[in-house]
Amino acid sequence: MTSTGAPQGDPADHRPPGQADPPATPAAPRPAPDASVPPGSDAAPGGIVAQGVRRAFGTVRAVDHVDLVARPGRVTALVGPNGSGKTTLLLILAGLLAPDAGSVRVAGLDPVTQSFATRARTGWMPDAFGTWDSLTAREVLTTFAAAYRLSAAAGAARAAELLALVHLEEYADRPASVLSRGQKQRLGLARALVHDPDVLLLDEPASGLDPRSRVDLRVLVRELAARGKTVLISSHVLTELDEMADDAVFLSRGRTVASESVGEAATTRRTWRVRALDPSPLHAWLTGAGVVFAVEPDGAALVDLDSDTSAAALLRDAVVAGVPVVASAPAGGILEQAYLALEEERR
Amino acid sequence: MSTVQHSPVPAGTDPAPAAVPPENRGDWSLSWHGITTVATLELRQRVRSTRWKIALVVWFVVVGGITLLTSGALTVWAGGGLLGENGPVIFGAVVFFVLFLGLLVAPTLSASAINGDRNAGTLATLQVTLLTAAEIVVGKLAAAWSAALAFLVVSIPFIAWALVAGGVSFLSLVTTILLLAVLLAVVCAIGLGFSALTTKTSGSAVLTYLTVAGLTVVSLILFGLTTPLVTYPTEIRTWAVAEDHDWEGDEDPTCEWQTTEMPQTHTELTWWLLAVNPFVIVADAAPEPTVRDDEYFSASDPLSMIRTGVRAARTGPQPEQDWCGAYEPGYVSPVDDPELDDSPVWPWGLGANLLLGAGGVVLAVRRLRIPVAKLPRGTRVA
Repeated sequence: MTSTGAPQGDPADHRPPGQADPPATPAAPRPAPDASVPPGSDAAPGGIVAQGVRRAFGTVRAVDHVDLVARPGRVTALVGPNGSGKTTLLLILAGLLAPDAGSVRVAGLDPVTQSFATRARTGWMPDAFGTWDSLTAREVLTTFAAAYRLSAAAGAARAAELLALVHLEEYADRPASVLSRGQKQRLGLARALVHDPDVLLLDEPASGLDPRSRVDLRVLVRELAARGKTVLISSHVLTELDEMADDAVFLSRGRTVASESVGEAATTRRTWRVRALDPSPLHAWLTGAGVVFAVEPDGAALVDLDSDTSAAALLRDAVVAGVPVVASAPAGGILEQAYLALEEERR
Repeated sequence: MSTVQHSPVPAGTDPAPAAVPPENRGDWSLSWHGITTVATLELRQRVRSTRWKIALVVWFVVVGGITLLTSGALTVWAGGGLLGENGPVIFGAVVFFVLFLGLLVAPTLSASAINGDRNAGTLATLQVTLLTAAEIVVGKLAAAWSAALAFLVVSIPFIAWALVAGGVSFLSLVTTILLLAVLLAVVCAIGLGFSALTTKTSGSAVLTYLTVAGLTVVSLILFGLTTPLVTYPTEIRTWAVAEDHDWEGDEDPTCEWQTTEMPQTHTELTWWLLAVNPFVIVADAAPEPTVRDDEYFSASDPLSMIRTGVRAARTGPQPEQDWCGAYEPGYVSPVDDPELDDSPVWPWGLGANLLLGAGGVVLAVRRLRIPVAKLPRGTRVA
């Protein structure tokens, strides 16, 4: 669930709802729900700024109109259903695909005209990480270090460092083909970090990861952001993103449908799930208080509330009234609710 | 461990923008470092994932067997078994066999290098690194070529065996092996080009084999089939018996110069169909054998025969022909011996082949440039 799952010892992860700015954010910009910041606005030269980006494959408009801002020192979630253009957008940002229209700045550079310089500062982790099966994990990383023009010695040191970072030391000298899906995914993440990029583009990094690795990923992503990196991360696991992301960009059918700060969600209307030892007093009290609610199979009540403050007030009142409340928490993550609300709007 | 002690950035590096290599390298820039990185990766992958040792042993045994059989057969046919006479023949046979096998093997080494990687999802991750498109292509070509050269190296003992048999100069050995190496590189480059062009690895393999077949077999067939097209009446001078000669009479026939219009096959228009053939290139470039087994004709080993043939084709029909013939000993023909155009044909053929190979490399580099503006149908970026 939400904030209860935050690991200890990670300064960047202690973000009470409503206060999303991590400490390392340079020039701490206010969360901008409106993403149409002019590209190249000189205030923040790094990060990712995309405006009016389009890309079609034949007649299929994979990316129709995307405006996106991802700031240095923040983790930006890219959320959208399958086929909404997330992967295509990441390919454009990684400099693999040229946009048909619109402007893109990654780390202040144009990936189309300044491909080489942009590549030097961008780390891209594809959703499906293919690997050379007969190379060992260490060789995969040293090969990429060499491809990023690191010297052999620096590459070997970097590979050892990254293998430790993603906990693959014991598999370091085994062929990559024996790695499980999750382990390959971790190797792919290490690969994207080889050249210490300023901008990280992670396409579904959590897929296939076990819970332990997910926690590690979250901690790592927060730490990278705390160091001033720009992290753009797409995932289907929305609760996962809740705990990682500062901002969110919602894509649907190749268009940006909303951009918001995750912290902002604390002041937006969402559903809370209230569970009591015995459902009947809870229901009776809610009915008496004039609160509209739905009942779940286990007796828990679903209540629409406009803010965290209202949730706190509701809980206090219920406890004071003697209702044996066991738990009161948002039903589903912040992003999940925002996402479902958007889906709802579109129907 | 829920905390991460390892720093995601190298010690001492500022979290500020990482050191970006200052120079902006284009798609076509090449560096030794980049090429060796790709070539090492390819070779490691290939050496570990294929049964290359078995392949090399099989190759060694097959080429060795052919060499032995050729030598044996020649000894029997030639009767006396004078090795000195058989050297050039053995040399030609073994060189052609090695070239034949090489043309069969080389496409498999490169024809899946790019689309195979694309399908495996490893190509895009390389493209986003600081390797340029040219470095990826040339590195892959270098790897495929080295693999092909391994097969050539294994064959060297048998090519050299002909040297022992005599009649072949050391220079022949060196130039022929060099030429074989270059031709294998050309085939690898063509395969690479097709692997960048098609989505499926089977498609690029087929196209590469078709190209090799086109160069070796189809060109030869075309040369044969086009002879009627280049055969047309041509005015030639003939040294012939006078037309009004009375064959019934007692007078000896006398010869005189005449101008006749005769259908002549103008192979000087189609010789290039032969010249592009890798077998012709190797044959034409090989130095003449040091011994000739026949005084009258030029040497009768396969390489020399092809050389003579292709140069005759390039020369075309003779403008002066002697129809009187050598009826009696001591006859001196007024027509000079047919003069063959003696300039070598192989540079043309090799040039054409190198152009094809360069075309493959250029195509592959163009297809690997990022960002991709126009994506060919059916291909994926990653």
